[in-house]
Amino acid sequence: MTRLNMILVLALLASSLYLVRTAYDSRRLFAELDKAKNEAARLDTESKRLEAEREAQATSLRVERTARERLAMRTATPAVTVYVHDDDVAAGAAK
Amino acid sequence: MKLGRRQSGAAARSVSYSSSPLLASKTPPWRSKLLVALVGLGSCLLIGRAVTIQIVNNDFYLEQGEKRYAHELELPASRGRITDRHGALLATSVSVPSVWAIPKDVQATREQIRQLAKLLALPAAELEKKLADPNARFAWLKRQIDEPVWQQVQALGIKGIYQTREYRRKYPEGEAAAHLVGFTDVEDHGQEGIELAFQKDLQGRDGSRMVVKDRLGRVVEAIGDQVDPAHGLDITLAVDAKVQFFAYQRVRDAVAEHKAKAGSVVVLDAQSGEVLALANYPSFNPAERRNLTGAQLRNRALTDTFEPGSTMKPFVVAWALESGRVTPTTPIQTAPGSITITGSTIRDAHPHGVLTVAEVIQKSSNVGTVKLAMQMDRREMWELYSQVGFGQKPQLQFPGAVTGRLRPYKSWRPIEQATMSYGYGLSTSLFQLARAYTVFARDGEVIPASMLQQTAPPTGLRVIKPETARAVREMLRLAAGPGGTAPKAQTIGYSVGGKTGTAHKQEGKAYTTDKYRAWFVGMAPIENPRIIVAVMIDEPNNGVHYGGDVAAPVFSQVVQQTLRMMGVAPDLDVRPQIVTTAVQESF
Repeated sequence: MTRLNMILVLALLASSLYLVRTAYDSRRLFAELDKAKNEAARLDTESKRLEAEREAQATSLRVERTARERLAMRTATPAVTVYVHDDDVAAGAAK
Repeated sequence: MKLGRRQSGAAARSVSYSSSPLLASKTPPWRSKLLVALVGLGSCLLIGRAVTIQIVNNDFYLEQGEKRYAHELELPASRGRITDRHGALLATSVSVPSVWAIPKDVQATREQIRQLAKLLALPAAELEKKLADPNARFAWLKRQIDEPVWQQVQALGIKGIYQTREYRRKYPEGEAAAHLVGFTDVEDHGQEGIELAFQKDLQGRDGSRMVVKDRLGRVVEAIGDQVDPAHGLDITLAVDAKVQFFAYQRVRDAVAEHKAKAGSVVVLDAQSGEVLALANYPSFNPAERRNLTGAQLRNRALTDTFEPGSTMKPFVVAWALESGRVTPTTPIQTAPGSITITGSTIRDAHPHGVLTVAEVIQKSSNVGTVKLAMQMDRREMWELYSQVGFGQKPQLQFPGAVTGRLRPYKSWRPIEQATMSYGYGLSTSLFQLARAYTVFARDGEVIPASMLQQTAPPTGLRVIKPETARAVREMLRLAAGPGGTAPKAQTIGYSVGGKTGTAHKQEGKAYTTDKYRAWFVGMAPIENPRIIVAVMIDEPNNGVHYGGDVAAPVFSQVVQQTLRMMGVAPDLDVRPQIVTTAVQESF
């Protein structure tokens, strides 16, 4: 009888210790998950910010200025444009 | 103490304990019963109180307990983005730091404060005042600063200064699209333009979650369900950012060139009624909050009304054709260049002789138009004008669009009917005028204009027959050609048609003699119009003031660029100027 009781007490002790550990683990993991989620949110806003930044770098104003000044481009007019029609393309491909 | 002992010693000598009368007297039984009852009642009260607190009214202390360990975290929703028809960003929200302080915790040297003030671009005195109150627990130092600035602030290492994240609106297109997109206030509520018109859709709903935090402030457990934030919806406009930018640039240049007060451009897609561009100058930078006051905020194309002048003539002529009163070749005697109606004389700028109906438009003859209008019933004219949208509130999801003025026909006197035929005595916004011209561009149907991209072709209201619309387009082409009033509207490769307008500005009750308003409304390509462009320049003051000289060149440039960007093939023959002779590649 005493022996059985001893075993039960030990089992109970072990189980309680295990419970404590599991509870601790679950909190730790939850904290980590939360941290990861925050990081995800932070990266998301960061990506939005960078996207806006990229867009700000590619405004029509800047594109036009760069094209004109750095790349020495000019605005195309119909006088310097060859208009290709679909039927021409088809004929050219058949050749 | 000594005294006490002596006294008790004396008493011990004189009192016999065994026979004390006090001990002999019997305690009455009700006293002990009362005590028991009192103690019993006391415990009952305690138990009762415990029951009420623990079981019946347990919420208060539960709540109080929860407050000690549970925290509500707000999950902020971001405001929706505004993009153009090709997905280019016109407005977006980015998360930025806002700096605040707990003034009583702040410990900083004078030098540190000075540097902080410099970083935050605040006067040092103002910053010191903010930090001076030793009892204050909170003070905003500066809201919505740039990320690198916050990093520098952090590097100063001043205690008691913190950041929170807030969303700030960014407008990549800046002032070019400012009137269209509008702006928000510091709380992220739309104040103008699309930001205001679509406030409900753009605005998100913040979410929240309850968590348990440990001693170190780490989240260790979530309580209950998380309320996810509902982010604002993205709005895709019909506007083309490139066309918008170009239109803005051109009107800005024109205002500068003619030393004008202001200018506006409206570009409509003639087939769908979509607004491709709507630009005004002077403009403002919507991201700079302190500039957001004054006349520059006015979306002149929508809010400023003026008398449409000669641009009304095509409508009168269209109705004369539609009702079978004349044909484009019917001659009309406009000599001697003036006509008198009930005592008032109406003159042409230059007297012409006999003009055909088409030439009345081409030369913009007031007398010819009046002669056509006086054959009509005033009610007919009123119906025509209101059907194409004059005096009607534009069906447009945009704040501030004005109605203009068109008086009920019953109050028109004959002279007023005459002046209204060439555009005086009624008022309209540039936007209404552009939209009214869809009746010619769309073969007789007037279609609603829209700020948003249309998926289905719009249902129009038929006002005139397709043949009539085509005949008027032909006249508009003549008006914008050599011999017309606006040869400067011509473009390379695309046929254009349109009508100029020039008017003395009205000040008080009279017309001024030296202040003008010049405008031009037209469409291209004229055979099958793809776009309608309306340009208005307010108070050109550099020698020339006619619509054909001031507004038509802007029209020409905008049409040229817009059609090229839309990939519309030219309908006129162009002498090629391609000089490179590339080696023919063989496949």
